[in-house]
Amino acid sequence: MRVVVDHNLCEGNGRCVEVAPQVFELRDDDRSYVLTQSPPQDLRTKVQLAATLCPRQAIRLIED
Amino acid sequence: MAALTLETLDIINPDLYVQRGYPHEEWALLRKEAPVFRYQRPGVEPFWAITKHADVVAVSRQPELFRSTQMLFVSQEEPGAPLPDEAILRQLLNMNPPEHGEFRRVVNQRFTPRSVQQLKNQIERITTEVLDDLVGREECDFVTEVSAKLPLAVIAEMFGIPRADWAMMFRLSNAMIGPADPEYGGNESIKENLERARLEFFQYFNQLCEDRRKTPRDDVASALANGSVNGEALPPFELLSYFALLIIAGNETTRNATTGGLHALISHPDQWERLKRDPSLATTATEEIVRWTSPVIQFTRIATADTALHGQQLHEGDVLALFYPSAARDEDTFEQPSTFDIGRYPNPHISFGIGEHFCLGANLARLELQVMFRQLAQRMESVELAGPTQRMRSSFVGGIKHMPIRYRMRAQP
Repeated sequence: MRVVVDHNLCEGNGRCVEVAPQVFELRDDDRSYVLTQSPPQDLRTKVQLAATLCPRQAIRLIED
Repeated sequence: MAALTLETLDIINPDLYVQRGYPHEEWALLRKEAPVFRYQRPGVEPFWAITKHADVVAVSRQPELFRSTQMLFVSQEEPGAPLPDEAILRQLLNMNPPEHGEFRRVVNQRFTPRSVQQLKNQIERITTEVLDDLVGREECDFVTEVSAKLPLAVIAEMFGIPRADWAMMFRLSNAMIGPADPEYGGNESIKENLERARLEFFQYFNQLCEDRRKTPRDDVASALANGSVNGEALPPFELLSYFALLIIAGNETTRNATTGGLHALISHPDQWERLKRDPSLATTATEEIVRWTSPVIQFTRIATADTALHGQQLHEGDVLALFYPSAARDEDTFEQPSTFDIGRYPNPHISFGIGEHFCLGANLARLELQVMFRQLAQRMESVELAGPTQRMRSSFVGGIKHMPIRYRMRAQP
């Protein structure tokens, strides 16, 4: 699984960072960045929750 | 009252919202028996009523398949908003990708959590001033004296609009959001009421733009006046519409959440006592208040292709109305959805929408509500209703125009 944040949509609401700080980081441009594009299996649930909760629905999970 | 049936229930008559408030029983029946319901009544263009949380999310996540249109909402009588070729405003709510995103980026950096947090001291100060004005009395109209004042002051200061003009911003916002309401809209037809208010708004913003082009400041008005989309200045109609949208949206919904929030606390004295004992609950209380009040009743979408939704076959051109207050009480999403619980967590409400059109001002609204309800909990010793609340005549926004209260307020914060 790969994680992608669409920066055309992301507005730095930061819900993903609350849920999965191991995977997402909010930077100075008020956008979320993916720290590890292929997160380990045990973080999968958290990444999925982050994608669900994102107010802008900016997080895409791409199955390999 | 006769038993509710799918054939006869009404969810879009604006008079219903004046008389009874939100039709929660009707929505509950729809969620249970017909979550994607073909609403067909005499004098109404047929549409699909979407009442489940998951379906509102599914539609909102696909802005290409379910596009926004000029018709923002459906209503029982004469159309609440003009037809596409006579658009009153052209703004984010009726734009689509990719244009919507391009326009949104002109100001969205000013509404991120971090930007909004910089307004915290200002919001605290304004809230304290608003509540100070209640000291030494026992009764007031909570809407005009409290819940209207904070969002108006905050959005006006963000725009750099001088205080002398705030009353006009308030009046014109009301006229544009409640054109079908006799107190807010005026005495003419809905269309004429809207047109008159828009003209006044546009004249004012045009002046403001000229000023900010000559002497830019660090405010939202300057960002819009000097903003660009794809390397070009915003066209005049879209520019002035943008001003109107942000002023109206910045005013109306937070006001109604504030009023509805206090109303909910008065109606649930145990929750009011709980908040007073622990004002730090204002954060979760804010989410619960937004869920409970869901100030936006509906937005419409139009299907751009034949598609299926929750077992129903939809056709290209079909209109869908997404009912947010219904999604906020969905039994499949929330435990005990009809319980008002200021500590509710998690609270995955979508009363700010979700996806492409997620409320641009959500972080601002949240902060205003958090500060207001924390300060109220700290200062208001007791509160009760002192007369009937008066609701706005609209099936689009759940407005409360007046709410007389009797209270005891501490002099010092």
